Amino acid sequence: MNNKLIYTLILLLGLSNITYANTLIQDELVNETLLNKKIEKPAPNLNYNFEDTDVIEIRLLINDPIKSEKDVYEGQPVTFRIASNVHYKGKILVKRHTLVPAKVEVIITSGMNGIPASIIFGSFDIKNLDSRLLTDFYEVRGQDRSLMVYPLKWALTILPPSGTLTNFIKGGHAKLKTNNIIKLYYHPNWDKTAIQKNEQKTNDL
Amino acid sequence: MIKKIIVLFAMLCIPIAAYAEENYEQKLINEQTIQNRIDNVGVKLLNANKIPRRIIFVYNEAEKKSKLKLDTTMTSRQVIMFDNAYKSIENDDELAAFLAREIVLAAKSFDREFAGGLNTLQIKAAPKKYEIIADKLAVNFMVKAGYDPIGLITYLQKTAPQRRFDKFSNRNLTSKRLAIIYEYIYTKYPYYLANNKYFENEHYQNFLLTSVNNRKMLQQKIKNGSKEELHYE
Repeated sequence: MNNKLIYTLILLLGLSNITYANTLIQDELVNETLLNKKIEKPAPNLNYNFEDTDVIEIRLLINDPIKSEKDVYEGQPVTFRIASNVHYKGKILVKRHTLVPAKVEVIITSGMNGIPASIIFGSFDIKNLDSRLLTDFYEVRGQDRSLMVYPLKWALTILPPSGTLTNFIKGGHAKLKTNNIIKLYYHPNWDKTAIQKNEQKTNDL
Repeated sequence: MIKKIIVLFAMLCIPIAAYAEENYEQKLINEQTIQNRIDNVGVKLLNANKIPRRIIFVYNEAEKKSKLKLDTTMTSRQVIMFDNAYKSIENDDELAAFLAREIVLAAKSFDREFAGGLNTLQIKAAPKKYEIIADKLAVNFMVKAGYDPIGLITYLQKTAPQRRFDKFSNRNLTSKRLAIIYEYIYTKYPYYLANNKYFENEHYQNFLLTSVNNRKMLQQKIKNGSKEELHYE
């Protein structure tokens, strides 16, 4: 008798769990495409230490030109190359022509009132350098016509509604030619663990 | 007789005054705790993302966001968290979501011509465009600082109202923003969707319920290998 009661109780508990699981709405897209795949957790940047003032300028050139923000999509891989040797304390950190994979992170289309289009590049992965200590993003902008639009709009307010027509002036497209140098900055000692390692090395010596 | 009445009155007043003082102190302590929490999360976002700009965070219980007042995020680089917004925050991920969005705009207001004045003007002139950019960059900021970006979805799901249309509005439909954020996380940080700690959260479930059509569109896009920008509902 007691056993029957226990079995019934277990069955009821089990059923209630099944019912609860069924009430959850499943994300089919994630279930189909992401589950059972090995995906690494993005590493946060929490070991910072901004005591050091050393900064290294890194000059990059894009391999294939971008004529407009319309020619790229968010998440698109792009390749840059190092424009000139990167030195630190008399040593070459990164050699010229080293390839640097990166990604198009965000695209901002051009807007009314002369607002220019932008392409934000990120996820720069430079050989021998810790990407956490590198500039995270670089933004390439199109021609900013708002500097012309706003004064024109105000000047035309005496002739309404001609001022509002300036709204339709759009900003320039974001372009990046193969000879346009972009600059990133690397802070070699902005990481607690790196400093601790250096201190350890000094102590060992 | 009068003396007695005065003494009685004084005796009655003393506990009320003491109670009021105690109440005020308790309120101050509560506000200080909230302020510290906001400061910690906000400054962690600034440091983890190496943002070399001075931005401060203020908890404001008394005031309500007024449309007539200037947004201090871009004028004084002072991110104000109003009581109404704070009430809906369940955890640090959601707090980071709110702050990260504001940090994006505040940091943008430093750059370029007129000490960032032109950028501020452009953000004000095209709020719809910059709303989406702030959402996307906030996701990046959150991940760099160790927060779960799904917190941005749950936060918006419960706090951002849904308008009828967005064609002639200066704001995007919240459903559209949520779908764009979801796609951005799916593309850039799939780890958080594959290991979704918010899956059983009621607000996330409600997001899944209300975003079926948008997620279907994304599913189709991924199946077809398309790179086209989707026009979410």
